[in-house]
Amino acid sequence: MEMNATRRAFIGGAVAFAAWPATAAEQCASPSPAPSPWETPDGMATDSVMVRRIYLDLAGRIPSKDEAKAYVLGGRPSRRKELVERLLASDDFADYWAMRFCDVLRVKSEFPINLWPNAVYVYHGRIRRFVKGNESWASFGRALLTSQGSDFRDAEVNFFRATDRRTPEGWAEATAQTFLGIAPAELSPERRAELAAYFGNVRIKNTREWKEEIVYVDGPDRRGELCERLFSGARDEVASAFRRRLRGWLFGADSAACADGGTLKVKDAIREIVLSDEYARGSVTGGFPARRLDAEVLDDAFCSLGGAERKYFSPAPEPFSFLPPSRRTVCIEDGSISSSFLTLFGRPTRDTGLESERGSDVTAKQRLYLFNSGSLARQIDNMVKTSGKKAGFRERIDDIYWRLISRAPTAREFGFLDGERKRRGKRGWSEVPRELAWSLVNSKEFLLRI
Amino acid sequence: MKQAKSVVEIWLWGGPSQLETFDPKPNAPRDFNGGLKAIPTNVPGMEVHEWWPELAKCADLYSIIRTMTHRHNGHESATYLMQTGRLPGGGEICPAIGAVISQAKRGSYGGEFPPYVILTSAKGRFSEVGFLGADAAPLVTGGQPNSARFVVDGIVPPAGVTPEIAKRRFEMLAEIDAWRPSEGSPNASLAAAFDAAGAEARRIAEGDAAKVFDLSLESAETRDRYGRTTVGQSLLVARRLVEYGVPYVTFNHPGWDSHKRHFETMKRRSAETDVAVAAFLSDLKSRGLLESTVVWMGGEFGRTPKVGWEPPWNGGRNHFASCFSMLVAGGGFKGGCVVGQSDETASKPVSRPVSPQDFLGSVYELCGIDPDGPLPNRQGKKMTVLPPQSEAGRLREIYA
Repeated sequence: MEMNATRRAFIGGAVAFAAWPATAAEQCASPSPAPSPWETPDGMATDSVMVRRIYLDLAGRIPSKDEAKAYVLGGRPSRRKELVERLLASDDFADYWAMRFCDVLRVKSEFPINLWPNAVYVYHGRIRRFVKGNESWASFGRALLTSQGSDFRDAEVNFFRATDRRTPEGWAEATAQTFLGIAPAELSPERRAELAAYFGNVRIKNTREWKEEIVYVDGPDRRGELCERLFSGARDEVASAFRRRLRGWLFGADSAACADGGTLKVKDAIREIVLSDEYARGSVTGGFPARRLDAEVLDDAFCSLGGAERKYFSPAPEPFSFLPPSRRTVCIEDGSISSSFLTLFGRPTRDTGLESERGSDVTAKQRLYLFNSGSLARQIDNMVKTSGKKAGFRERIDDIYWRLISRAPTAREFGFLDGERKRRGKRGWSEVPRELAWSLVNSKEFLLRI
Repeated sequence: MKQAKSVVEIWLWGGPSQLETFDPKPNAPRDFNGGLKAIPTNVPGMEVHEWWPELAKCADLYSIIRTMTHRHNGHESATYLMQTGRLPGGGEICPAIGAVISQAKRGSYGGEFPPYVILTSAKGRFSEVGFLGADAAPLVTGGQPNSARFVVDGIVPPAGVTPEIAKRRFEMLAEIDAWRPSEGSPNASLAAAFDAAGAEARRIAEGDAAKVFDLSLESAETRDRYGRTTVGQSLLVARRLVEYGVPYVTFNHPGWDSHKRHFETMKRRSAETDVAVAAFLSDLKSRGLLESTVVWMGGEFGRTPKVGWEPPWNGGRNHFASCFSMLVAGGGFKGGCVVGQSDETASKPVSRPVSPQDFLGSVYELCGIDPDGPLPNRQGKKMTVLPPQSEAGRLREIYA
């Protein structure tokens, strides 16, 4: 089976490359350069780049070897659309995009937001249903902004609790930031006062249940009026802020500017972007913006490749709660549950809900960790051990490439590795795969979504 | 006044009891002192609890504050207050004293890892760096100093990776990491930053950083003197970090939140901590490092003076912020002094109350940082290191 798949890899590759347009003149002029594994001659991403890109953005994880091969070697013209549809319908999509929305809605138990665990789980569940159910941002927003009731039972009221300023001004800022894309520092005093006026009668009170709070309105409730203005009257402002946000997540903050209004249904809006030509451009000359993998996604990638080493727990309330190690990190509901790995790789603290909280730069500390970490070294070892002990050298190298970066090695790469194996004699059989796995884990192609 | 070069914070996480540490009340009823005693120290008139015999032998090296006081009995708020000098709220997270001092002193520190090191896990209740951001982030070591090999994940290479193997790996990486975006594109600058970070990381990986954490370079006798415990070996690492020049080292020492079965917990915790801290202070002293190193030990609050004997506490003490103790030494603090006096049950200060700001302000002053000076922040707001306050409360009576 393994051999067949590998052979098909070559055949599949050859077919794809042969399909590129090349004029007779070009062919005469010079021997054609080795094809790029990342980009077609017209500046579009190759299938290997696309499958990884789509899995990372829609499922929040790298594709498995089989998933990557099915896409790259499958060759069906409709494969991109089919994969996008399948992932949009998956739980992985709901988990990953719920995480994104929980970042900006500040879903965390502790300081300075202090939602506390019960409310965190309820609110996270509601946000995940918004994503999973392809709900419109307007209907979700309306549900949040007009909510009343207990933070344990009426999930939406946590919008009013998930801010460190539970006052009309604080809610005005949360509303402007969430729905209009205006950060508190950029919100004019007039606009803040105008928005705050709608929340003048909103109150929060305690109950006799520990950490249960009731959000209610004492007097005339003007929040419905606000929703009319936000989601009906000035709908364009909300829609373009929403689409700016999605574009920012997919293309980076710099490319977020030019977003027109359009659908507010979350899956439909994401689908539109991911199926666009812009999204299929290459990252070498094509201008598609590369981005470092999210802290959570990276953690999950290492665990899925080489066994889970994560041990997440919540210190509040006592007694501590421990999450099962099999749980994906992107599924952690509570922003207060973290690790030094996640901090190092820029997981947002969910203190402010600003997108800038998520660190996506590449630092020396991160690279030092990846070079030297003992727990990562164990995961890499485990991965190499499962790459087929009895398989031949070629199969082992292929396996590592497919698992980490969704493609086979190029002729040049394999030539180099095979040369290393020969140079080192018998030891090369075990050393080269292990050092290759380490090198790929530390490469741009693995650590970045290109 | 000479500036302290380094600070070592021994954070007794959870709130240690003032009565079983540095403010014993042997003459109070058993419901307060559990029937336990005080012992004299080598400084006449200065007593500590009977569970701290090693520190009793070297009281000339440190001073005790018996009248720390604030009003916040929750771990989160109290920790934040004791670490930042501010109360939570107001839309921003302030940096802890460790982040502020290490950033202020990073210019004179030439080490290969961050100027702020935390042994072995972060406090976790709030981000220590606050709005100073990732750039000010501490190195949180993880690992277990009291094991055959203290592996600081990311600094100390995993077992079996020799320098030769490491070199081979870097050579292979250079060959394999071939994705190159076209010049001038945003991706090209990302790739360049990626490579620059890698080059810096490699320099650190191939430097001496790992040796700082290598306790096998210490004699067995020294390791024994500190005690073969997590606290003992952690403080030995702390001493090596001070020698290396790290401006701020925190050892987060958990297990002081003794709501239930307080006395059993305290006795065990005190015994190992007593040995370790006494060895640490004496070692700093004999190496001539104590004068330039501030050491402080305490938690976010103390514990209720009256013991809850009934179930479910079974001899427990709860959170108590009105009056608690702190140990300070070195770096410009005199030894052998007691600041403040509490009432007969250690329930409230009778004289010389010391606020968290008074305490933090003193540490800042000894480090050459003006507590009323500006605190840089990304928002460009006007902020001072500590909230505006009177300097009268600072611990100047025990400055050397």
